[in-house]
Amino acid sequence: MKKILLILSAILSFALTSHAKLKVVATLPDLGSLAREVGGDKVEVSVLAKPTEDPHFVDARPSFVVQLRDADVLIDGGAELEIGWLPPLLQNARNPKIEVGKPGRVQASQGVRLMNVPTSATRAAGDVHALGNPHFMSDPIIAKTVAQHIAQAFSAVDAPNAAAYDANYKKFEATVNAKLQEWGTAMLPFKGQNVVAYHDSWPYFAHRFGVNIDTFLEPKPGIPPSPSHLAEVIEKMKAQKIKAIIVEPFHDRKIAERVASATGAKVVDFAQYPGALPNTDTYVKLIDALVARLSAALK
Amino acid sequence: MRNFIFVVLVVCATAHLFAQTAGSPPAVSTPATTAEVEALREEVKSLKEMVQTLQQQVKDQQSAKNNSNPPALPENPEPQTVETAGSPAPSASAPPLFPTTDTAVVTSAPPVNANGTTTFPTTDESVTATPSSVTTTDTSSSLTQPLPIIGGGNKNYMNISFDGMFALAASSERHLDRLEVGDHDPLQRGFNGRNAEIALDGAVDPYFEGFANIVLKLDNNDETEIELEEAFLQTTNLPYGLQIKAGQFFDQFGRINPTHPHTWEFADSPLVNGRLLGADGLRGAGAQIAWTLPVPWYAQFIFAVQNGRGGTGYSFRNPGEDGVFFGRMTIDRDASALHDMIYVPRLETSFNPSDTQTVLLGASGAFGMNDTGADNHTQIYGADFLYKWKSSHAEGGFPFVKWQTEAMYRRFEAGRGLDNSFPVEETFRDWGMYSQVLWGFKKGWVVGLRGDYLHMQESPFTDDDTRQSRSRISANLTWYPTEFSKIRLQYNHDFLDENDFLASRDVDSVFLQFEFILGAHGAHKF
Repeated sequence: MKKILLILSAILSFALTSHAKLKVVATLPDLGSLAREVGGDKVEVSVLAKPTEDPHFVDARPSFVVQLRDADVLIDGGAELEIGWLPPLLQNARNPKIEVGKPGRVQASQGVRLMNVPTSATRAAGDVHALGNPHFMSDPIIAKTVAQHIAQAFSAVDAPNAAAYDANYKKFEATVNAKLQEWGTAMLPFKGQNVVAYHDSWPYFAHRFGVNIDTFLEPKPGIPPSPSHLAEVIEKMKAQKIKAIIVEPFHDRKIAERVASATGAKVVDFAQYPGALPNTDTYVKLIDALVARLSAALK
Repeated sequence: MRNFIFVVLVVCATAHLFAQTAGSPPAVSTPATTAEVEALREEVKSLKEMVQTLQQQVKDQQSAKNNSNPPALPENPEPQTVETAGSPAPSASAPPLFPTTDTAVVTSAPPVNANGTTTFPTTDESVTATPSSVTTTDTSSSLTQPLPIIGGGNKNYMNISFDGMFALAASSERHLDRLEVGDHDPLQRGFNGRNAEIALDGAVDPYFEGFANIVLKLDNNDETEIELEEAFLQTTNLPYGLQIKAGQFFDQFGRINPTHPHTWEFADSPLVNGRLLGADGLRGAGAQIAWTLPVPWYAQFIFAVQNGRGGTGYSFRNPGEDGVFFGRMTIDRDASALHDMIYVPRLETSFNPSDTQTVLLGASGAFGMNDTGADNHTQIYGADFLYKWKSSHAEGGFPFVKWQTEAMYRRFEAGRGLDNSFPVEETFRDWGMYSQVLWGFKKGWVVGLRGDYLHMQESPFTDDDTRQSRSRISANLTWYPTEFSKIRLQYNHDFLDENDFLASRDVDSVFLQFEFILGAHGAHKF
């Protein structure tokens, strides 16, 4: 009897302690990485989208409904990147804690000035986001702001650990500040250089690190590369002596390789999400890798 | 900060002077010429001036900064302008290049280099708003216009979309309307416009969401039929994982019935859906409760009550065309008791065999009375299975493989009809299934294969063209230029028993379906 009681109490205490951790769901792996930085051992983070898949088209798997139903905090991009899959999940999750406006909901784009906001909405321009380009996390300064919002949300939902969240955030901020000097120095020699990207995911990265990424293999966002468009890109690349083509894990690398071989440029494997490239399990490591890869290619 | 820059400049100037003197050692042994002294004087003078102007610049900046405390930013609405605003000063006055508020970091870093480029900024107010203005969605901070909230790109109170779906049909059967079983299917040779749909949705208030689907169909004489396919409200914040829906809606019976033709992977509906649930699908006015079970995996129980009357309650209180159903004169009855309504329960569950695979299993039922007698019941049971694999490196959702199968069984107590006019009572045990595999092999491209089987219990008494056992095989290729348009080519081969209704036992049909969507494109459920 005593034994049973002991086991029961052990299970109960385990259940309680494991329950005591804040359950955080992040729609995208970059947001998940910041949540881990800020939350430390006080939170349990799960991420819906895979780092290697196209974030515009994630399946609304039923298991996600359960994760969202049980979440204390939801962190989403807030700029309609996930509009194709998050709304039906939230409808089914029926979790009032993570409704927009509640402390348990962080919309990362809040407080971020989005770039390339279209003046008029027409789908003739391809998959243009009405709120502006939603791929803002590749700018580390924006990431700091997002981390701060996450820390505020964690503190609001889990007040007893507020000091820990604040300390973690400060640590992250200091790391990024120090890293910014390093990244900035590494990218400085390439200021003003042109780089080609498969999809328009990099305006924030380009702005921060002083390169121009405004030529794309896609003729319009979300529209597959056509031969005539690629011919134009090749001509432009030759004229401007462009040395690098950025592709993400889910893009058709062969197309980029074909353009590269026609122009002598290098294909650079990039990714928006931690975990998509080797040894990039955190946000800072990811930016490390991006800066290293791009500066190596531009040399 | 100011002192620091001053010191740097002085050091630079001295270094410069030193370099000048050091650079002329051959002249040191001889007394300096007047010209050389003059040149040096000029040099020192110009350097002094430079230092003064720089000091002035620093002072100006300092005072400007102090004066403009509340909106620390000058007018720079676009992030890009921050750089262009700084770049015209490539001389030595680098500090204004980036707005830096974190002096600790900046000063500790190596200062200005020869090109006038600066150390890297660690804050940039042009891209981020101050945290205080973030948590509260305060309009007073409109100067910097940060704060896009979800849906901000769409300032309407509802989403509106229009979906136009058409099909060009060719078939060896003249009467396509007798061959095809669904109301949205191509029903004549040539062009068909069987689904032009206006969809509206949005938040009603903090408690409800509303949805409406109004469908316009062109009949075979190009006359327009209109149909309120769905119009319902749904709760948004009930506790315990509960959700209530009320209005006109499709029943959650199986996989295809609750969905609109836009999401269908074939140009026509499966035989079993058309014949057991009805050409229009099982839907109607009613109420539904859904409950997500409090278990660690996905499991949901759904229960709906509806009138189940007319063509959209096909196997239930349906008086049939011209008052005849399955050969019997029907009794068109009002609901006199609770058992005259239809009850539609469903249980569904899902698990993930791996990170890239998902399985969804469901069991559905529909129970009610029918119009072929005074006390005649109908029961329909359904089971469905969905397997999906999607690449971990999917672009635009491709590549994927999706296998979907549904089976249904119907027990239909056929009475003797109005005034016992039909000679016998019979109980029909009908069943059928379809299984389809879709392979999205390349971004935007899908090939599909479907097999259909329908078994209708034979009867020596009942002769009805909708009660024929039959089977069909279909193959198609779909191109989605984007998620807002599609073009689909489909081939059907129908195997039919000898019959009076159709000209041939084997029918070949080809459909070319095309679709476009305007406006908001509702996200797809799994």
